Amino acid sequence: MLAFVQVFTSGVAIGCVYGLVALSFVLIYKATETVSFMQGDLLMVGAFTGLALNLLLGLPLWLAAPAAVLAVAVLGALLERLALRRAIGQPHLVAVLLTFGLGMMLRGSVASIPAAAQETYRLPIAADTLAIGPLVLAASHVWVVVVTLVLAAALAAFFRHTRTGRVLRACSEDAGTAALLGWPVARMHTLAWALGAAVAAVAGLLLAPVTFVHLNMGFVALKAFPAAVLGGLTSLPGALLGGVFLGVVEALAGLLLPEGVKDVVPYALLMVALLLFPQGLGAGRAARASV
Amino acid sequence: MSMLRRFMLALSTSLALGAAVPAGAVELAADEIVVGTVSDLSGPIAMLGVPVRDGMLMRFDEANAGGGVHGRRIRLAVEDAGYDPKRAVLAARKLVQHDKAFAFIANMGTPVVMATMPIILDAGRLHLFPFSPHRATYTPLHPLKFQNFAPYYDYMKAATAHLVRARGYARTCLLYQDDDYGLEVMKGVEAALEGLTRELVERTSYKRGATDFSSQIARLRAARCDLVVLATVVRETVAAMAEARKIGWDVDMLVTASGYSAQTHALGGAAVEGLYGVSVLPHPYAEGASVELAAWIERYRARFNAEPNVWSVMGYTLADLFVRTAEATGPALTPAAFARALESMQFTPDIFGSPIYRFSAEDHLGNRHGRLAQIRNGRWVPITDYLD
Repeated sequence: MLAFVQVFTSGVAIGCVYGLVALSFVLIYKATETVSFMQGDLLMVGAFTGLALNLLLGLPLWLAAPAAVLAVAVLGALLERLALRRAIGQPHLVAVLLTFGLGMMLRGSVASIPAAAQETYRLPIAADTLAIGPLVLAASHVWVVVVTLVLAAALAAFFRHTRTGRVLRACSEDAGTAALLGWPVARMHTLAWALGAAVAAVAGLLLAPVTFVHLNMGFVALKAFPAAVLGGLTSLPGALLGGVFLGVVEALAGLLLPEGVKDVVPYALLMVALLLFPQGLGAGRAARASV
Repeated sequence: MSMLRRFMLALSTSLALGAAVPAGAVELAADEIVVGTVSDLSGPIAMLGVPVRDGMLMRFDEANAGGGVHGRRIRLAVEDAGYDPKRAVLAARKLVQHDKAFAFIANMGTPVVMATMPIILDAGRLHLFPFSPHRATYTPLHPLKFQNFAPYYDYMKAATAHLVRARGYARTCLLYQDDDYGLEVMKGVEAALEGLTRELVERTSYKRGATDFSSQIARLRAARCDLVVLATVVRETVAAMAEARKIGWDVDMLVTASGYSAQTHALGGAAVEGLYGVSVLPHPYAEGASVELAAWIERYRARFNAEPNVWSVMGYTLADLFVRTAEATGPALTPAAFARALESMQFTPDIFGSPIYRFSAEDHLGNRHGRLAQIRNGRWVPITDYLD
């Protein structure tokens, strides 16, 4: 039983990382209808930026981490202004391929720094543990869950209670009408990309103590994409939920199921979930309400 | 004549001419030997590719500074295939046709090696010491292919057998990456245990790039393992060991040569203290180095502005084998003559503490023996000699 709870908590923590990356997908997809294939690369860049600020410039971690998130947000905004904006009005594939290419360029620019391409790094976060009775939690896992909760609450407040947040929502729901009402749709696109990039960077920094910082750490986005689909691709809470679901199922399957089956189960469940809730878990309530 | 017919004529002429050139003819310039390498400088194993290349560059530069080999300078022609067999095929063709590479050395990654080896051998070029633990790199015997590293099977069989016998483990388990690498290690561990009339008590896998090992470690702990063999790479080694220590499980672990890296203890810190590993070549620690090794480390740092690691040593060693064999072959250097010379070479231990490399006309695998090392006070310490 203890092993079960132990593995469950790890699953929740890793699931939160999947969920955060899924969230960054959805933020961008909802606002701009672009499926971004560079979230994994933005995540990696975020972690490396934090590392560089900490190791090279000597900034303390509490300063380096927010600075890295900010830097990646600016990078996301810049990419939107310089490149992605030009894909609006083109077929969907153009934007998708553009993000794919930009992702490769990000990866290539990090790889061109020999020290980054060859080594794996750890952020100077102590590998502490937290004991709750017999249950032992890694401090890094606790951090992941706490930051995810705080970030989710902050995003919810932003979208509900701030003017900018509501305008962004309006533009996401119906860009045409929002433009007719005089809302700055183009600027909201830039904001959506900045937010999406920032959330990916947060995920990267949270993943850093778990898997260390290296060039391939962005591959975790491959897991986040199904999580976003599971959440319905347009629901922010759905994306988070989808991520946690995938993380927990993956972890428990590894503990309880025989070799060979465990890797299939998360995806089989994903298919079942999509069959039952074609609009995704997040849209389940709305779909039922409209019936 | 239509465009198409003209094209077909040109094509058939070039094919006919191409066929007229006998395979295996490498024209060696009077003043240069080109050594090709299809490396990975940007892909998933760039962390090996770059230091291996640098190690080779360093040794070839030294040979050239000493007047070259029988008056010929050695030029290392590097192509980056990024672990991608499609790019590797193009790179190998370019090195064969355009650079007229005399030999290929340290091609990087099993998919790359499997795709390019036929091209290289068909062109009559030497295929030396690829970074692929695959038997096809030295068997069946081919006059031009030589390998320096045994498959994981051999190293892990010897290491597991030795450790289980020496420490009396009763319940050996395995955590493995579920690909060819992991399966190869599994076979080696099973063979070792079979020889001791024991069984592999529990095995559990992970996918490459996995982030969390809590379920695997919980499973192994439930099986009450007293030795866990890790078919992992650096990051997973650290994660697995840290997870076990986190939940208070003080089990012994043994990792393959893939986890034998200074990065393992640099990243793992206290969590990986006591980890056993298989070492095929020693890591060049600056602290406590012999005078010769310290000087080598200093030269490497000055040249590449980086710390040398076990892969740098490998690159340097492979290039050294090439230089010494080319010198022994004499001025009339051909692939066949080089291969015959290599078959009779006996390479004695060097400044790094490498194993002995020995080839013969019947056996083109230079070494089958690794040794056991353990992380003590944050560095790998050899605890046995090279195991038979």
